[in-house]
Amino acid sequence: MKFGIFHELATPRPFTAENERKVLMNALEQVRVADEVGFDTVWAVEHHFLEGYSHSSAPELFLTACAMQTERIRIGHGAVVCVREMNHPIRVAERAATLDLLSGGRLEFGTARSSTWTELGGFEADPDRTKQDWDEFVRAIPGMWTQERFSWQGSCFSMPERAVLPKPLQKPHPPMWVTVTSPGTELDAAERGLGCLGVATASLAEQERRTKEYKRRIQLCDPAGHVNDRVATLNFMYCHEDLAVAAKRGMSFLGTFGLLNSHLLFTREAWPTTAYQSLGGVSAPAASKGGGNPGAAYGVPDGVAIGDPASIVQAIKRWESVGVDQVNFLVNACEILPQEQVLESLRLFAREVMPAFREEGGGRA
Amino acid sequence: MTLVMTGTGDASRLAEGAPVVEALAREPLALPGCVFVQALTEIESGPMCEMLPPALHPTLPPVVGFTVWDAPDSVWGPFRLAQLRIECRSGLRPRGLLVSAVVDQPEAAAGLASRFGFRVTTGEVVLDRGYDATRIRVATAGKAGLFEAVLRAPQRLGESDTQFVSSLHPARMPRGLRLVQVDVDHAVKRAERTRFGIEHFDAAGWGEARIRPSLALPAVVGVADVTLRPIRYVCRPDVLAFEGTEAVDASAA
Repeated sequence: MKFGIFHELATPRPFTAENERKVLMNALEQVRVADEVGFDTVWAVEHHFLEGYSHSSAPELFLTACAMQTERIRIGHGAVVCVREMNHPIRVAERAATLDLLSGGRLEFGTARSSTWTELGGFEADPDRTKQDWDEFVRAIPGMWTQERFSWQGSCFSMPERAVLPKPLQKPHPPMWVTVTSPGTELDAAERGLGCLGVATASLAEQERRTKEYKRRIQLCDPAGHVNDRVATLNFMYCHEDLAVAAKRGMSFLGTFGLLNSHLLFTREAWPTTAYQSLGGVSAPAASKGGGNPGAAYGVPDGVAIGDPASIVQAIKRWESVGVDQVNFLVNACEILPQEQVLESLRLFAREVMPAFREEGGGRA
Repeated sequence: MTLVMTGTGDASRLAEGAPVVEALAREPLALPGCVFVQALTEIESGPMCEMLPPALHPTLPPVVGFTVWDAPDSVWGPFRLAQLRIECRSGLRPRGLLVSAVVDQPEAAAGLASRFGFRVTTGEVVLDRGYDATRIRVATAGKAGLFEAVLRAPQRLGESDTQFVSSLHPARMPRGLRLVQVDVDHAVKRAERTRFGIEHFDAAGWGEARIRPSLALPAVVGVADVTLRPIRYVCRPDVLAFEGTEAVDASAA
């Protein structure tokens, strides 16, 4: 079992330069501590226009800063939006390869297609085409990284033969992932030999179903590049010796994050289409129900890692039992928790929780 | 520290034109074989918080939705309804705050107002369906027209490809001013996505002069068995849904 921290760069209003910088600097400090104490990966999302919820619009820059301030932790570019109006695949390949070189071969490369109308509409992207674009990106980019010169004739983009440079440090190329929010995307991941990067909280039963199907299907895949057969899931983490303190603090940022997420305008709400079969957000289950009690607060997700070390070990064992290889944690939102509490939580987790998994697994890879 | 955007409008202003509801619907209202239109447009964001009461949150970007029902069969006989909503959030849930509605049949208008809290006036609702375009025209007596739109280039959608969102209807009730949550089920039989073009929109005539459409989104035209469920929740407009949601029991409105 591996552990990551996951940054959305949720930012409190007002969006002053001071607040924006504070969120970035705090996140960087969390990454440095995570690196020191033994977390395996730091992930940063790519989002645009999502006021408050995520100001991570240039994750390649944030992750470059992470790479330059750390020694060991892997750098999760999770995920690049593979939609033609938002990123050109050549630029994506170039930036990612550069980040892999700068980080000394620590890049994990995530791919996605965006789930909100706020983002797709802002770039005037056609939601009907996003899956097609993503498919073309993930099939083309490994070739850009591995072939001396590369050419492509597609429906999303075309290019004559050129040398896409630089090439990444990792050979044949960095591990590739796809974000999974809606049921079925795990099959898209498996069929292309991509890692399954859960970015919405799924129930244990749903995760077990997805993982089982994913592991079965990836054996038969037609890989887009080098196969990455790992399954990661998203979770919330706050670790404190006192269970009651952990619950109070942890639930405060979890609830805030859920509220911010539910206020996004998901593509399916704005753009009737067969291309988005679910809302896709963290709070999608609540938001997708036709009616329901609006007074109900954000529920506690299955197996949440908020508690004392013993209860967190127990929670993560449940994820391990359904075949999850990595758990990535959101550790704060909108600076709800003071930075010192976040850092203490990371340290305590590393001290008291990680050993329960490292010993059985024979140490870190 | 502010985390989420919340309505800043005067909640009591919602009472203006809101219907009096003595007894909420306890039975479903079935509209079998209803032709429906659901059309959303982004609007200018300037007044997005002022247009909502403190109970609600705007979407980003802010959006309003036009809904038309051509109901051939109901307890009041056939009727057509057009309504305008401001799409929003109540707690974690997507909702649409009703601005107002127009119904072409007085008995239906009275029933929808008294049981479901529709802020409704009687008028003309025209839904002309053609092979390649659908035209909508809405007008009330004494006004040149509230809304004209054309929906072009229909493309077939799956029956589950459209997201329907519950409404909140401001209503004056014995317990005070409340937002009545109206949950509507759609058993879709046919649906088409169309290109939505607004040709005329009288924002003030609908009751919210600050609405300025900016980017029309694709609209859905379809046929569904529509059912308005019995009312289960009402909300206070002046406090967040987590605090102000009231379950409706069988004993009182």
